[in-house]
Amino acid sequence: MNGKSEALNGRTAPKPGIGWNEIKAELIEFFASIKLAMFLFLIIAVMATIGTVIQQNERADVYIKEYGEEAYRWFLRLGWTDIYHTWYFTSLLALLCINSLTCFYQRFPAIWRSMHQDKVSVTLPFIKNLKHTTELSVAGTKEGVSKGIVQYLAERGYMVLAKNEPGEATLYATKGIMGRVGAHMAHLSATVIVTGGLIGSLWGFQEFGVCLEGQTYHIPKGSFDLRIDKFWIDYYENGAVKSYNSTLTVLEKGQEKMNKTITVNDPLVYKGIWFYQSSYGDAWDQVDVARVNVKDKATDKILQTVDLQWKKEATLDKLGLTVTLTDFVADFGFNSAEKKVYSKSVEHENPAIKLAMAERTRKSALEATPWIFYHYPDLFDIPGSQYRFELVGYQPRKFTGLQITKDPGVNIVWTGSTMIVVGIALSSFIYHRRLWFKVVPGKPGESTVTVHLGGSTHKNQIDFNKEFRKLTEKIKTINA
Amino acid sequence: MLRSLFLFDMTFWLYLAAFSLYVAYVFVRKPAMQLAAAGHPGSYTTEGDTGLATQIGQVATIITVFGWMMNTAALFTRAFERMQHSGTFAPWSNQFEAMSYVSWAIILGYVLLEFRYRIKTIGAFVVGIGFIAMGAASLLPYRYQTAEPLVPALNSYWIYIHVSVTLTSYAAFAMAGGLGLMYLVRERAERQGQQSRLLAVLPDLETIDELGYKAIMVGFPMLAFGIILGAMWANYAWGGYWSWDPKETWSLIVWLIYGAYIHARMTRGWEGRRAAIYAVFGFLMVIFCFWGVNFLLSGLHAYA
Repeated sequence: MNGKSEALNGRTAPKPGIGWNEIKAELIEFFASIKLAMFLFLIIAVMATIGTVIQQNERADVYIKEYGEEAYRWFLRLGWTDIYHTWYFTSLLALLCINSLTCFYQRFPAIWRSMHQDKVSVTLPFIKNLKHTTELSVAGTKEGVSKGIVQYLAERGYMVLAKNEPGEATLYATKGIMGRVGAHMAHLSATVIVTGGLIGSLWGFQEFGVCLEGQTYHIPKGSFDLRIDKFWIDYYENGAVKSYNSTLTVLEKGQEKMNKTITVNDPLVYKGIWFYQSSYGDAWDQVDVARVNVKDKATDKILQTVDLQWKKEATLDKLGLTVTLTDFVADFGFNSAEKKVYSKSVEHENPAIKLAMAERTRKSALEATPWIFYHYPDLFDIPGSQYRFELVGYQPRKFTGLQITKDPGVNIVWTGSTMIVVGIALSSFIYHRRLWFKVVPGKPGESTVTVHLGGSTHKNQIDFNKEFRKLTEKIKTINA
Repeated sequence: MLRSLFLFDMTFWLYLAAFSLYVAYVFVRKPAMQLAAAGHPGSYTTEGDTGLATQIGQVATIITVFGWMMNTAALFTRAFERMQHSGTFAPWSNQFEAMSYVSWAIILGYVLLEFRYRIKTIGAFVVGIGFIAMGAASLLPYRYQTAEPLVPALNSYWIYIHVSVTLTSYAAFAMAGGLGLMYLVRERAERQGQQSRLLAVLPDLETIDELGYKAIMVGFPMLAFGIILGAMWANYAWGGYWSWDPKETWSLIVWLIYGAYIHARMTRGWEGRRAAIYAVFGFLMVIFCFWGVNFLLSGLHAYA
């Protein structure tokens, strides 16, 4: 802003001295300054960039592999592995809020005043000193020309104030104050958004649930239950995944309260808690079907191939076998202390199934519960049995991955977001301009008046230039 | 799909022709010297043209408009093909389509600018960027140009609003970048002294500066809106309106950079040359946000 605009704004420079008023004025000046805003914008941008180049919230070994251990230690010290939640990043955001609030405090009152102020009392030198100024000789009377100008401006959306004195008529026209208001709205909204975000992070939660079809899960934070009725995947013709969907039922004390099929982009909301279809995957402790080859131990020939359903007994009469698929792990691990088998990870690295088999042939009669390994078919030998089992394939049970969140601050963030978009739009498309006129009657006997006009604009000189020129042209022929 | 690819191809050649014509226009212009000497604004609009320059200028505009219509047809055809293939029709559903859409928006913005201010020399810079954008799109490997059905996360009505608004803001920033470059070229001509022909042919610095500022004033609210729409979509799809993923963060970075620009304009000494350099820099950041993030950084948003 140039010096003239500052004077028109009504701000005064801080007076020298060491009293509290002076300190307060200095502080406000600092915290409301544009330079601070620029600095904050840019330094937050730089910090944010760091977080995109260095992967955030990764495991230690990922960083060490990419950058080395020394660099990783520095990252930890600087907080660069989770930069958006460091104290300094949060402080910068807080400072930005303080900056915008102080700016509002310092400058908005003047805007408010100028919206309601009588600015008609200006002097001729004032008009002559404006950036756009000109002097015209127009045919007509003081009253007639003034009326013509007022009408023309009013038609074009200006608010016009007029003062008619015997010696001269003074007119003041203004338009587009909403552009200035918009900027202040945007400033306030930054704080609203940050507040909403803060509330969400303090009092909200985000959890991920791995859920199986047919199961019911208790949601402690909402004290209700969620039953997964169905989960399925739809495919395009070319085999790519089109959508994955879960049908959910909300139960409260056994009563069905709500039923909805969710999919990506279409969550279920109950009691302020949102359930999103986030992902899906293969379960690590269940399969739907396992394909097993029954081989003759002596000749290693495949005697029969059978698809075993989960926990359903299959009878193979010709071989004298009954087999049941009783357990599955995706990544076989054995806890020797508790003598329990478990899955080391969710990845299907070392899958194995457990069978409960009973054999009754002419040559053998036994029962066993062997583990059969997908990658190590020859590992297990069932002593006394004629047969060897081989796991050749399986269809894993799919789980549906649900993201469960609650964010009490989200509506505040939307309010602030609307404010900021409206505010920025107003500020960008509407510009505040003001025009002053002095219509001075000519000497007695002359049929012309002299019109002194001047104008100033807050921004958008190029369009105001054109508008001023057009106005000048129009006034030349304004009829009395 | 072949139909739309053909139309996109034609668009590229038309934009190439338009760009060449605008460059030729700059070199052929001899504005009436008396107009130029007086600093009359008519000297850099079409008012100051004579003979060959007028003709080249007119053909340039016609080819540009025709190219834009071809671009529109290409986008519509692609939308129709998508609808038949997979049930959604946003013709900005992958990197190639998005680039083509941005070119379309840049050229549309330029045409509107030319009709309003009649300064055809701007075409050499802004249509140039539109042409380069379309060219870059054409250079993408074929597998990026096909209309594959959308993955579940993108399969939502949000793609119609969030993506289109954000891409349009990129187009506005591209125009500002082109104008910033034009400013620097003109300024250099000024430093070389009165001998430079460009001095008479290109508009005065204040005009170029203002137009660049206006372009950013269009892009900035659109980007804000686009980011908010993206946050709303994320809230429906991923369970949270902001997760600091590289694309989200980079669009915020771009927004902060232009936010700083807007505040800088109100500070003395930041109009003119600094603003022009800034506008070019901002545009480079937009390119990284649009292109670089998809190909160089990983994350939920890497939808090339």
